[in-house]
Amino acid sequence: MRLRRYFIHRLLQVLPVALIIIVINFLLIHLAPGDVSILLAGEDADPAYMAAVRERYGLDKSFFDQLIAYLGQILQGDLGISYRTREPVFDVLMERVPATLLLAGTSLVIAAVLGTWIGTAIARRPGSLADTVVATFSISLFSIPVFWLGLMLILFFAVQLRWLPSSGMISIGGPRDGFARIMDIVWHMILPVAALSTVWLGQYIRLARTSVAEVLSESYVTTARSIGFSEPYVLFHHGLRNALLPIVTVLGLELGLLLTGAVLTETVFSWPGLGRLIYEAILARDTPIIMGAFIVMSFTVMLASLATDIAYAALDPRVSL
Amino acid sequence: MLYKKSVLAAFLLTWPLSALAQTTLIVPQLDEARTLSPDPAADTGGYAPTSNIYSHLVVMDWGVVAGTPAYGDLAKTWDISPDGKVYTFHLRPNVKWHDGKPLTSADVKFTYDRMIEKKYPYAAFLRNVATIETPDDQTVVITLKSVDMSFVPMMAQAAGWTGKIYPQHLWKDQPGFDTGPYVNAPVGSGPFKFVRWDRGSSIELAANPDYFLGKPSIDRLIFRPIPDTNVARAEFDAEQYPHLPYDYAPPLAEVAALQADPSIQVTFTPSHYSRDIQLNTQREPFSNLKVREAIAAAIDRDAMSRLGFAGLWKPAIHANVDTQKQWINTDVRFPAFDKKRAEALLDEAGYPRGANGMRFAAKVTGPSYSDCKAINEVLVQQLRDVGIDAKLEQFDQSTWFRRMQEKNFDISCYFTRYGPDPDAYREHFGTGGQRNFMGYSNPQFDELGARAVTLTNEADRAKLYKEMQVMLIRDLPYINLFNEQKTSLARAKWTGFPLQESGYDKSVTWFGYFAVKPPGK
Repeated sequence: MRLRRYFIHRLLQVLPVALIIIVINFLLIHLAPGDVSILLAGEDADPAYMAAVRERYGLDKSFFDQLIAYLGQILQGDLGISYRTREPVFDVLMERVPATLLLAGTSLVIAAVLGTWIGTAIARRPGSLADTVVATFSISLFSIPVFWLGLMLILFFAVQLRWLPSSGMISIGGPRDGFARIMDIVWHMILPVAALSTVWLGQYIRLARTSVAEVLSESYVTTARSIGFSEPYVLFHHGLRNALLPIVTVLGLELGLLLTGAVLTETVFSWPGLGRLIYEAILARDTPIIMGAFIVMSFTVMLASLATDIAYAALDPRVSL
Repeated sequence: MLYKKSVLAAFLLTWPLSALAQTTLIVPQLDEARTLSPDPAADTGGYAPTSNIYSHLVVMDWGVVAGTPAYGDLAKTWDISPDGKVYTFHLRPNVKWHDGKPLTSADVKFTYDRMIEKKYPYAAFLRNVATIETPDDQTVVITLKSVDMSFVPMMAQAAGWTGKIYPQHLWKDQPGFDTGPYVNAPVGSGPFKFVRWDRGSSIELAANPDYFLGKPSIDRLIFRPIPDTNVARAEFDAEQYPHLPYDYAPPLAEVAALQADPSIQVTFTPSHYSRDIQLNTQREPFSNLKVREAIAAAIDRDAMSRLGFAGLWKPAIHANVDTQKQWINTDVRFPAFDKKRAEALLDEAGYPRGANGMRFAAKVTGPSYSDCKAINEVLVQQLRDVGIDAKLEQFDQSTWFRRMQEKNFDISCYFTRYGPDPDAYREHFGTGGQRNFMGYSNPQFDELGARAVTLTNEADRAKLYKEMQVMLIRDLPYINLFNEQKTSLARAKWTGFPLQESGYDKSVTWFGYFAVKPPGK
C-alpha cells in the first residue's frame, strides 16, 4: 500500500518533468533548419508538393498551435503517426524496443555483475600488482570507442576467422520460430554484446574496487576479521554488501538510458534497435518519432530511478520509502 | 535434449543446403526503406527494393552515360506526333501483376491521374500533361500542353524514384498511395515479388517466373540495411556480398590494391552529373565577373584530382560532361589554371592584397558528399594561394540546402545535372530555375533554353545548347571541375550490375538487379 502511494507520488513528479522535456525538445526541433517536407519531396522538390506535405502535417501552422495540438494529442494517449512511415509512432517504437533491451540489457547485466565481482576481488589489496594491472586495464576498457572495438571484433571474428556473424540480429532465410530461432539470435548477439559490455565493464570494476576498498577500512570489517570469518565471506558479505549503494546508483542511471545508450553499437552491428531508429528520425526530422521516443525515455528513466530507490531500501535498512 | 539437438542439427544442415540450391543476391544499403510504397514521397532506402518489385512506363538506367536517355519498360515502343505534342505508348502484351491479374493501360492512367491529383513528387514531371487517354488495353495516349522534348527522358529518370505503376484493382479503394494493406506488402509487375520485410534486418524478394522479360537469374534478392560503411566493406571482403554499391565506395587511395586483386572487379562509372562550384553572383565581390574569372583561373583541377581523388577523377573543363557527348560544346572551355592571371584579375577588380596578404574573405560550403568535401579542402587552399581568405563551412545536408535556397552562401560545391535531357540547363541556370542558387539571370540564355526544348530535331537542339554553353563560360555563374564518377566493386565474373556496362539498358532503373548474372549462368 505504501509502495503504491510512493509509486503514484513519483509518477506525479515525473509528469511536469516530462512536459518540460516535451516542450524543450519540440522547440529544439522547431529551431533546427529544414523540415520533413524537403526530405519527402526529394531530388526534384516540387513547391506544390512541399506545401501539401506541410499542410498535411500541420507544419504550416505557428509553433504554438503545433505544440498545443501535439500536447492535446499526447493527453489522449496518442503519440501520433510517423512522418516517414505513416505508421503509429507507438507501434514503430515498440517494434524496436525488444531488440535494444536484449542487446543493451544483456550487456549491462554482464558488465555490472562481472565488473563488480572483479572490482571486489582486487579491492582486498589496494596497490598490489593485480590491482595496478586491473585498474590500468579497466581505464583502457572504458576509453575504447565502442564503434572501433566493434569493428575490430567484426574484422577478427567475422571476417578473418568467420566464426560469428558480422551484423544483424537474425540470419537471412534462417529459422523463423522455435528454439532454432533463439539460437540464431544468441549467435548474432555475441559480438555486439561483447563490444558493449567490454566498454561498460571498466567503470564497474573501478567503482566496485574503490567503494569496497573504502568499506574494508571500516572498523566493523576489522571486527568481522578478528571474529574469524573467512576472507571471502568478509569481502563479499561485509564489504560488497555495504559498498553496493554507489554501484546501484550508477546501474540505475544507466538502466534509465538503456534504450538509447547503444546507438553506436547498433549502427556498427546493423542491430535493428531503438537507438538507430531515433538517430535516423532526427536526421529525417521525423518529429513524432523523436518526441515519442523522448516520452518513452522519460518513463524508463523514471522507472529506473524508482527501481533504484526500492533497491536502496532493500539494501540499506537506514533508507525507507 | 534429443529434440534440441535434432533441431539444431536440422538448422545447421538444411540452411546451407537450401542456400546452395538457389542463387541469392544480398545487397547492402545505407538507409533502410521507410515504406514499400515509393510514389507518395522520396525515400532513398526504398528506391532499390521497390524498383525491383514495380514496373514503370519508361525507364532510364546507367546506360544514360552511354547515350540512352530513356527506354521502354511497360511501354514496348512509343510514337510522337509530327507536331511533338501527342505521345502514343504501346504497352507490352500479356503483362501480369504479381497476383495474376492482367496489367492494362487503365493501370497507367489510374496511377498518373492519382499522382497529379495528390501532387505526389512525380507530378512535377507530368506538369505539362493535358490529357491521358486509353483507347484500348494496350495503348496510352498522353497529350502535352506544349512541345517538350525532355518529357520522356525526365519521366524515365524519375521513374526509378517515385514513378512506379500501381495496380488499380488493389488501390482504387484507398484514398492515397500511402495508406492501406499494400503499402508494405507491395504487388507489382516487376522482375521480383515481395516476400517479407523484417524491419531493421532485411527485405526479401523472390524471382518472378512470369516476368515479361523472362525470369531473372537471381532467385532471391535481399536488401540489408548496413549503416556503417566499414562494416559493409568488411562483409564484402568476407564474401557475404558479390557486389558493393557505390554508396560504400572504398577510399580511392585503396583502389590500386583492389585492382591488383583478380577476385575483385573495380568499376568506375562516370555519371551525367558534374562536381563544380556555384558562385553567388548576387553577393559582393562574386557579382564582379573579374573576380569570378580570377577564381576560375586559381583552380588547378589536376592538383585537385591528385590530392582529393588519387588522380582517378577526370577534370571537366567544358560546360557539360563527357558522358553527354551529343550535347557538349568542346570549342569553349573554362579558364585554364594560371595563378599570375588570377592575381592580376583580382588586382584589376579592385581587391589588392591587404596587410595580412589577403584580399577578401570567402566562405566555401557544400553538400555532405565525400567528394565535395575532398574538393572543398583543396579549393580553400588554392584560393588562399591567390590571396582570397577562404574558409570552410560545413553543414548537414538539409541545412546546407536551405541556405542555398536562401542564397545565403559565397561559394558552394555543387552537382549540376546535364542529362538525361539537356533541358536540365534551364533548371540550373535559367532565371528563377529551381536549382539556380547562383542568382544567374540572362534573358538570352532563357530564350534559347525555352526554344531548344520545343525543337524535335536533335541537331537543331544541340546547336542551341552549345550556344548556351558559350554564355555560361563567358558569364561564369559556376565553374565546372569534374565529371562525377561512381566507384563500385563486384566479385570476379559477376555481370549485369547496374553500374557495369553489361547492365546498361537492361537493368530497368538505376537500382535494378534484373540483369545480374552470377558466374557460370
